[in-house]
Amino acid sequence: MSRVVHYLNQFFAGFGGENAASTPPGLKPGAVGPGKKLQELLGAEHEVVATVYCGDDLAAVSPDALATVLELVAQQRPDLLVAGPASTSGRYGVACARVAAGAVRAGIAAIASMHPENPGLDDAGPAPVIASGASVREMGASLERLAAAARKRLAGEPLREADGRIGKTPRKNVLVDRNAASRAVDLLLARLAGRDAPAEVPVPKFDHVTPAPPIADPSQATIALVTESGLVPVGNPDRLESARATRWLRYSIADKGTAPAGEYASVHGGYSTVWANQDPNRLLPLDVARELEREGAIGALHGEYLVTTGNGTTVPNARRFGVEWAAELRRAGISAAILTAT
Amino acid sequence: MEGTVLKLVQHRVAAVAIGSATRYQAGRLTVAEADARRALAAPALASTRVSWVSPGDSARIVKVLDVVQPRSKGQGGRGIFPGMLGPATPQGRGDTHVLDGVAVIAAGYLPRAQEAVIDMSGPGAALSPFGATHNLVVEFTPADGASWEAVDTAVRIGVLRLAALLAESALEAPPDQVETLRGAPYPKASTLPRIGAITNLQTQGTFKDVFVHGRSFGPAPPTLFDPNELHDGAVVSGQFGHPALKNPTYMHQTHPVLAELRRRDGHDLEFAGLILAPEPVEAEQKARVAEQAAELCVAAGFGGVVITKEGGGNADADISLKIDALADRGIGAVGLFAEMAGAEGTAPSLVVPPERGTALISTGNYDEVVRLPAVARALGGPTVDVAGVAATAALEVPTAVLYCSLSPLGAGRLTCREVA
Repeated sequence: MSRVVHYLNQFFAGFGGENAASTPPGLKPGAVGPGKKLQELLGAEHEVVATVYCGDDLAAVSPDALATVLELVAQQRPDLLVAGPASTSGRYGVACARVAAGAVRAGIAAIASMHPENPGLDDAGPAPVIASGASVREMGASLERLAAAARKRLAGEPLREADGRIGKTPRKNVLVDRNAASRAVDLLLARLAGRDAPAEVPVPKFDHVTPAPPIADPSQATIALVTESGLVPVGNPDRLESARATRWLRYSIADKGTAPAGEYASVHGGYSTVWANQDPNRLLPLDVARELEREGAIGALHGEYLVTTGNGTTVPNARRFGVEWAAELRRAGISAAILTAT
Repeated sequence: MEGTVLKLVQHRVAAVAIGSATRYQAGRLTVAEADARRALAAPALASTRVSWVSPGDSARIVKVLDVVQPRSKGQGGRGIFPGMLGPATPQGRGDTHVLDGVAVIAAGYLPRAQEAVIDMSGPGAALSPFGATHNLVVEFTPADGASWEAVDTAVRIGVLRLAALLAESALEAPPDQVETLRGAPYPKASTLPRIGAITNLQTQGTFKDVFVHGRSFGPAPPTLFDPNELHDGAVVSGQFGHPALKNPTYMHQTHPVLAELRRRDGHDLEFAGLILAPEPVEAEQKARVAEQAAELCVAAGFGGVVITKEGGGNADADISLKIDALADRGIGAVGLFAEMAGAEGTAPSLVVPPERGTALISTGNYDEVVRLPAVARALGGPTVDVAGVAATAALEVPTAVLYCSLSPLGAGRLTCREVA
């Protein structure tokens, strides 16, 4: 008999709604709430051995809570983790996606379930996501699809679109018989002959970001300097990556009137940093920003700058930096930022 | 009009050694250290060392710079690597002797050069084309006070000179194979689809530059170029970014897309020629070059085009803009891309996709992590900088670090597939 662990939020685990959204991570033996129907659909060969739960407020934002959830899951030595269905509930969807992604990264098979428009979909990483209905009213049908996918996964079978899989399917490197040059000529000749031969790379669709309207009165605004130029204090004390950055850093400029050579240097691997390192103000325009501050053209300059390296950065990481920067600047009362790109 | 012809006289190398004289005999290539030192000597270099590594060795080369295939057109090189070892006189005709199965590899620190690794055994060896060649590794110590630019030039010229010298040792040897290649022009001769190639060269300043006839191709517009010239080393690499996405001199000498087009010429296509195009850094320049290249394709009568790039994300635009510019003129094109899909393969694969084309070939995912076992011996430097460990240590690195593993010119068999 295979062992299944089910992840639910505080509501479906029976602790209450928004008032209980800070419920700490915990575990109940066996199936709970929608898990009972899931158990019934999985059949006698598979047992929901435990239900791990966490309040949505904690699970969606606290790395510690997520780590505790994953620890509770791992202790059960499950053959499969099932998270959700989260329908269109945003925080619950993010939690289900992150718990499933974390389990897969730890070597535990996992499936999350949510509606295709749930914002958590992008957080599932390598974990498969099975489409659920938009609301709790469709729970029955959602659980049937999820249970069918779970049985397939437990049998070691791949999950595809026909199984209700949504979101990204991981792409893996494989060695094939013929080199890329000859495959390219094949594809070109097929397309020229009007045959619909499959391409090897899906064409991505990118979001278009509409810039915010100009601020009404810069002389009243606190402005932040942010940059993807890889400019850090000399010696790179926090080891910012030169390419494929996975994080961003912040450094105080509260007592600085300029960014002098010898004090800052760029670790960016994608452009020649020679001239920039001779005058780091050209990456972080601190000198002119201080002038504007003195002239009263801007209200004040934020006391720290935010920095990462924009060189081969994956879109999910870049999007995360953007969300984190926006939250960080909003919390600090910043009304505009100057982003220097390289 | 009758075009020119180049004969490639191939000599297979099955065994290599360091010895008292530089010679090639019955498939065995021996190199004298004194000859190598003389070929590599330059005021900007305090000293140089050469060592062989062969397929299957428990060995790793780190800080790989350029790779060159030994070739010669006669004693003293006789025009090989034009503009680098001699006058910038167009080549691509006559006889060119090739040492097949051998590469000369420069390895060592240069600024702006990103850490690049070749493993001669284990899982890494299958991913780099140079895990399967006998490699003469050139290490160097810069002279006191020499500028890095001077060191770069000295290493480049020295390695070309050494490669030419090695091939000279086979001038009198009986060839294993002779290949006859028709040079430009390529007038329409059949009803088969006429397929040409656009080869983008990453020309983005010192240490990220590509040379044609000895000069940076950066300021040049897209140029119709005799592909036979590439066999004689008219295109030389000085580009040390993005190791997996590099086109070293060796790859221009053996250009996999041109080789494929020639192989199929007269069977299912008609080879229509080669256009070289620079890869500038500014978006406006990229668009201008794309339009110019597309116009040249029309003028040369290309019915379809294989477009390749060099380098990372920004170079995606240099393919995509050309696919779109060609689509505007009713010409179909295919692009070879490496994917930057994140370590888990779930991020968008391309930075700049085409808007009017979908014929995209994948040379693999740059971000996927590979695990390489420790090796007994390493050349090129004491550490693997990107991993911060000893050069011989076990490595866990993105595929991006493995030299030519995602060959933009299409040399490799790696691709990417959805694994459900």
